[in-house]
Amino acid sequence: MLRRTLLMLATSLVTVYAVGDAKAACSPDYSGVTLTVATQTGPYIASALKLGADEWSKKTCGKVNVVEFPWSELYPKIATSLTSGDATFDMVSFAPAWLPDFVPYLTEMPKDMQSGKDWDDIEPAYRERLMVWDGKIYSQSMDGDVHTYTYRKDLFDDPKEKDAFKAKYGYDLAPPKTWKQYLDIAEFFQRPDKGLWGTAEAFRRGGQQFWFFFSHAAAYTNNPNYPGAMFFDPETMDAQINNPGWVKGLEEYIRASKLGPPNALNFSFGEVNAAVAGGQVAESIGWGDTGVIAADPKQSKISGKVGSAVLPGSDEIWNAKTKKWDKFPEVLPGPFMAFGGWQIAVPKAGKNQQAAWDFVKTLTSPEVSGQAAITGGTGVNPYRKSHTANLELWSKIFTPQEAKEYLGAQADSINGKNVALDMRLPGYFSYTEVVEIELGKALAGQTTPQAALDAMAKEWNRLTDEFGRDKQLAAYRAAMGLPPKK
Amino acid sequence: MMRNDPIKHVFIWPAVLVVLAISIFPLIYSLTTSFLSYRLIPPMPPRVVWLGNYIQLLQEPRFWNAILTTTLIAVTAVGLQYVIGFAVALALNARIPGERLFRVAFLLPMLLAPVAVALVARMMFNPTMGPLNQLLGHFGLVNLPFLTNGRWALACIIAVEVWQWTPFVILMLLAGLQTLPEDIYEAAELENASNWQQFWGITFPMMLPISAAVVFIRLIESYKIMDTVFVMTGGGPGVDTETLTLFAYQEGFKKFNLGYTSALSFLFLIAITIIGVTYLALLRPHLEKRR
Repeated sequence: MLRRTLLMLATSLVTVYAVGDAKAACSPDYSGVTLTVATQTGPYIASALKLGADEWSKKTCGKVNVVEFPWSELYPKIATSLTSGDATFDMVSFAPAWLPDFVPYLTEMPKDMQSGKDWDDIEPAYRERLMVWDGKIYSQSMDGDVHTYTYRKDLFDDPKEKDAFKAKYGYDLAPPKTWKQYLDIAEFFQRPDKGLWGTAEAFRRGGQQFWFFFSHAAAYTNNPNYPGAMFFDPETMDAQINNPGWVKGLEEYIRASKLGPPNALNFSFGEVNAAVAGGQVAESIGWGDTGVIAADPKQSKISGKVGSAVLPGSDEIWNAKTKKWDKFPEVLPGPFMAFGGWQIAVPKAGKNQQAAWDFVKTLTSPEVSGQAAITGGTGVNPYRKSHTANLELWSKIFTPQEAKEYLGAQADSINGKNVALDMRLPGYFSYTEVVEIELGKALAGQTTPQAALDAMAKEWNRLTDEFGRDKQLAAYRAAMGLPPKK
Repeated sequence: MMRNDPIKHVFIWPAVLVVLAISIFPLIYSLTTSFLSYRLIPPMPPRVVWLGNYIQLLQEPRFWNAILTTTLIAVTAVGLQYVIGFAVALALNARIPGERLFRVAFLLPMLLAPVAVALVARMMFNPTMGPLNQLLGHFGLVNLPFLTNGRWALACIIAVEVWQWTPFVILMLLAGLQTLPEDIYEAAELENASNWQQFWGITFPMMLPISAAVVFIRLIESYKIMDTVFVMTGGGPGVDTETLTLFAYQEGFKKFNLGYTSALSFLFLIAITIIGVTYLALLRPHLEKRR
């Protein structure tokens, strides 16, 4: 009997000790807490969230349930949930452009997360602009997004190709400085009989198409002499999308669609990456994922041969104020912060707000996010200074030359003097829907570029009036980093 | 119980109230909303615009394009479903060998979820990876822009609709054919009437009431097409394949323009009612002749 009692006592002590030890491992302790986060269908971003979820679970003993929706359905799903005030999602991940629409339903980031080493490590373009609305921080960047240029180094370094290119176009084959050069290169490598095409961009409605068009137009419309006037006149809020700079951008975007693989009109960004990694195209533009996927030998036929550069630019930029082309002494590169990088935020209706912000902290920590950034398919691109500074981290996937070009292109784009910010406005979907529709018509040749852009401008002006011109103007100026209009 | 027994009210009124609550009230609420400018995103307080939404819609080329597209899909698809469905029903009714197997096989498409069918179709018609274009490429032919050209995309949607819903027509018409009396055909054969004469003189007229019902059901259902278009083309390229329901979805659940969407729903209801009434009015003389 005594032996039995002693045995039971020993077992109880061991159990208590083990439980105590497990509890100590949970710091902070969120055991029993299950968070739900809404995001787009993976692998992009969803896999990064799962990576963060694993780390957070190890640390806090909590669980994270990642709920995925197709990209085209994400906005309505999140918007419906937020506006109805239900607590379905503890966190939502979304495009920065949607932040103005979601702000009334989101909690502010805890103050303790808005300072310190990790906070200062975030690139100012994100920390001071994309995460901010109305002077307050409502979301945390979990991805950095800027469009860059990717090319096949094996083709560009081939002496035969170099000679032939120079003979045909009269200048050296190299990453393009202007969009004219970009199209020349695409035309030069357009060889369908050899399974090689010039370029790959997204052209499909609902397939991230309009950001690629914006990238072309940014070079001709983001004028440093009249900042913030790319999409709207920051004085009057008149739409600028049909000015001559935009027309030139659209004409070149349409031309690029004819220098891609067959049925390029059906390409979303996923197909662009597949075409680049499959070695089907000589060059392309897009987010940083392209370079990472193309460098991965498991996914790519061109690993070890991937070059990167800043987007082409122009030495002529339309001035929305003077209504004239401004001539610059040299070509200004035209980096465009397309999309701007996924944001993650915590809704007011959420029942586990503290735990949710703790998860965000882990997810976006330099360690976890750094690992996500070098993992092909997570969709996470550099958004911290430590991401681009740590060459050792990137040597796991890139050759030294590849890493140098890739990180250089990322850093030079984000910190570029004339970097163009993406549009962020209340009613964002209403503004971009008409862009997608008219782009579809222009790409299919059903309408001229000017007519398509005129239709967009007409609808943008109508929407601005409907939503309230003064309100929209104030929001637009804030999004473009301009002071409030007096 | 006496006819005027007041107890009947105790039984009737709860049912009437339930019906009012679950069907009439939402309808009235929706009608009221259609007279408002009411957006959830960006949040804007409701403002009475009376017929403003209706006028704006009627002046909107995209609305007329959606009506035209929906009508084209519905009329063409239902027409083809009826012709093919009738032919197959006649064949099955003629007791051909393996008729049972065919009957089950023909019904399978109807049992699948439209979303799954559309997803498979999207893969089949995929311009680069789809088996159809791969087959064309195998024979040295050029790839066809199945889903990237407006006309081709419409044709693909109609083809999928026909493939999926012809079995329903077959099922209904086969049931009708099996109720036709044999003795009329025996009499026709004694009169040396050819098969063609028997079809136009006996089968088709006698099948007219059930044909009218089948076509009516399919027409109304086809006007509500959403899932197939949503999955296959998303309404694109441009708005070339955008149907009324998809247009309403875009306005309601992507732009959260509630007043405008309610007006659109009511115009849709009016359009469907006009089509239904016209269809029945056109058929009435022929149907009454059969009574």
